[in-house]
Amino acid sequence: MNARNVHAVLAAGVQHPNLLSKWQGDPAFLRSQGIAPETIDLTALRKFAGLTVKVRHNGLRFDLPLTFRLMSLAELDIGVFSAYAIHCAATGHHYAKTSEERTCDLISFLERWLDLNQRNHSLLWDMIRHEQALAQLKRSTAENSASFLGNPRPPRILRGSSIPQVRGQVILHRMQCDPGAVRAALFQRPPRLDQIPEEIHFYCYWRVADEVHILNLDEFGYYALKLIDGITSVAKLNRRMGGGSRPTKAFIGALQQLAAVGVLDLYGTTSPQAICTSSS
Amino acid sequence: MKTLDFSHNATALGLAHGPGVLDLVDRDPGCVDYIEMPFEQLRHNPSLGSVQEIAPIVLHCASMSVAGFIPPSQQTIDEISLETSRTQTPWIGEHLAFVSADGIHEEADRDTAPTNLTYTICPQLSEEAVERVSMNLESLRPKFSAPIILENSPQYFPIPGSTMSMSDFVAMVVFRCDVGLLLDLSHFMITSMNTGVDSSQELEKLPLERVVEIHLSGMKLADGIVWDDHSVPAPPEMFDLLEQVMRRSRPRALTMEYNWEAVPHNVILSHLERARNILA
Repeated sequence: MNARNVHAVLAAGVQHPNLLSKWQGDPAFLRSQGIAPETIDLTALRKFAGLTVKVRHNGLRFDLPLTFRLMSLAELDIGVFSAYAIHCAATGHHYAKTSEERTCDLISFLERWLDLNQRNHSLLWDMIRHEQALAQLKRSTAENSASFLGNPRPPRILRGSSIPQVRGQVILHRMQCDPGAVRAALFQRPPRLDQIPEEIHFYCYWRVADEVHILNLDEFGYYALKLIDGITSVAKLNRRMGGGSRPTKAFIGALQQLAAVGVLDLYGTTSPQAICTSSS
Repeated sequence: MKTLDFSHNATALGLAHGPGVLDLVDRDPGCVDYIEMPFEQLRHNPSLGSVQEIAPIVLHCASMSVAGFIPPSQQTIDEISLETSRTQTPWIGEHLAFVSADGIHEEADRDTAPTNLTYTICPQLSEEAVERVSMNLESLRPKFSAPIILENSPQYFPIPGSTMSMSDFVAMVVFRCDVGLLLDLSHFMITSMNTGVDSSQELEKLPLERVVEIHLSGMKLADGIVWDDHSVPAPPEMFDLLEQVMRRSRPRALTMEYNWEAVPHNVILSHLERARNILA
C-alpha cells in the first residue's frame, strides 16, 4: 500500500467523513485505491474527524466553558463533533467565521441531533443554551438596552387595552435542569452528573442596563412573557393564553409580578425594539 | 523585541500561546522564558507579533506537510520564512505529519483538487514515508533562516501499510535526515496507549540525545481512544516520562501546551514549577 494513496484516503476521510459509512458498507473504493479494507479502522477515522472539528471549535470555549467541560466529562465531545463533522460534510456547510455564528450553527445541529431522552444529552442541550444566552446578552450593545434604562413606571390601573412591553432584552428557555446544579456537579471530584436533579425550570435571561439577570419563572409567567411582543394588548394576550375577553386575575397577577421585578413595563403605548427569543 | 537567550545553558521554559497566557505572563513576567506561537495564528492575526514585546517567540508550525506528497504553496513558505526571520525564532517546530494530500474522487479519471486540512495527520510509518520526509526537508531547509525540528505525531489508529512503530519511525527520520526532535511527550504517551506498548520502554528507543524541545499537555480517554487534549493539564505520568527523558537528554526548551482554553493560572504555575524542578 503506497503511502501517497494511504494519505489521500485518510485525508479524504477526515475532510468528508460522510463517505466513511459508504466505504464501510462497500469497500470496493478502498481496494481501488490499493488499500486492503481490513487494514483501515474507519470507525476510528470518523472519531478522529470529530476531534479535528472539535479543535476547530476551540474558539467557542470562551463563551461555552461549562458546555465543553460537560461534553468532556460525559464523553460526549468526540461523538458530538464526529456527527457534526459528518453533517457539515454531507450538507456542504462551511464553518462560520465568528465564534458567535459557529455557536448558533452548532446549537441548530444539536437541536436536531440530540436525544433529549438521554440524560447527558438533555444536560448538554440545557447548558449550551444557558451559556449562549448569557454570552449573547453580555455582548449585546448598550444601545439595545439604552431605551429601557428608566425605572419601571409607577403602577396604575391595568386595562385590557394596555400594551405590556419588555424592558431590555430577554431570552427564554425551558430547561430540564438547573444549570447552577450542573456547574456544581462539573466541579465535584468525581463529577456526579447522574445526581443532578431532573426538574423543569422556566428561565428568563434578562439584560437591562448593563446587567444580565436570570429569572426563574413559573410556567404561567414564562408563557405570558413569551407572548409579549410590545404590540399586543393585555386583552388579546389573555385570549392567547386561553382566557376570555376579560383578563383573568391570574393573568394580571402574573403580569404585575413581572412588572414588579422590572422585566415588564405594563403601561407602555409604543412598540419597543426589544429582542425576545425563546426555545423549549 | 525580545529573543531567546541560551547563554545560561539551562533549558528554557515556555507556554504555547492561547487564552489567558498573555494575562499570566503580563502578571508574572518571570514565569516563562518564551511563548511558543503557531505560525498559523500569526498568519491569521499578524498583530500577535506584538507578543514579542513581552516575551521571546519560538515558532511552531503545522503547514509544511513534511511527511506529505503535496508541498505547501510558495506563499505559505514565503510567509513562514518571513515570520522566521522577523521573530528570530531559534528553530521552527514542525509536525512530522501531513496536512495536505492528493484529492480523490470515487469516479475514476475525474480531476480533483488536493485535500487541504486544518489539522495534521499521522503519516504512514514506513521507509517510503521516511524517504519522503527526507526529500521534503531537503527542499524546505534552505528556505528558512532557522533550522526545522520535527515533532512526533499522536497515533490514534493503525495507519495502513505501516511497517514499523512510531518510535522506530521517528528514530529513522531523525537519523536519515539529521534533524532535531521536538518530543511531544503527550503525543508519545497517547501513541503508546493507543498501540498497546509500554511508554517507558518505548521511550528508550527514541534518539533522546537529539531532543531540542519538549511539549507537555493533557490527554483524555474517550470512545475507546486516548486523544490529545490541551484543555487539561498533563497527568502525573507525563512528568515521570519527563524525568526519564532528562536522564539522557538536555533539551534547549520545554513548552507547556495548555492552550485550548484558559487553564487556571495556579495550575499552570504549579506545573511550570514542577517542570522547572525536573529540568534543573
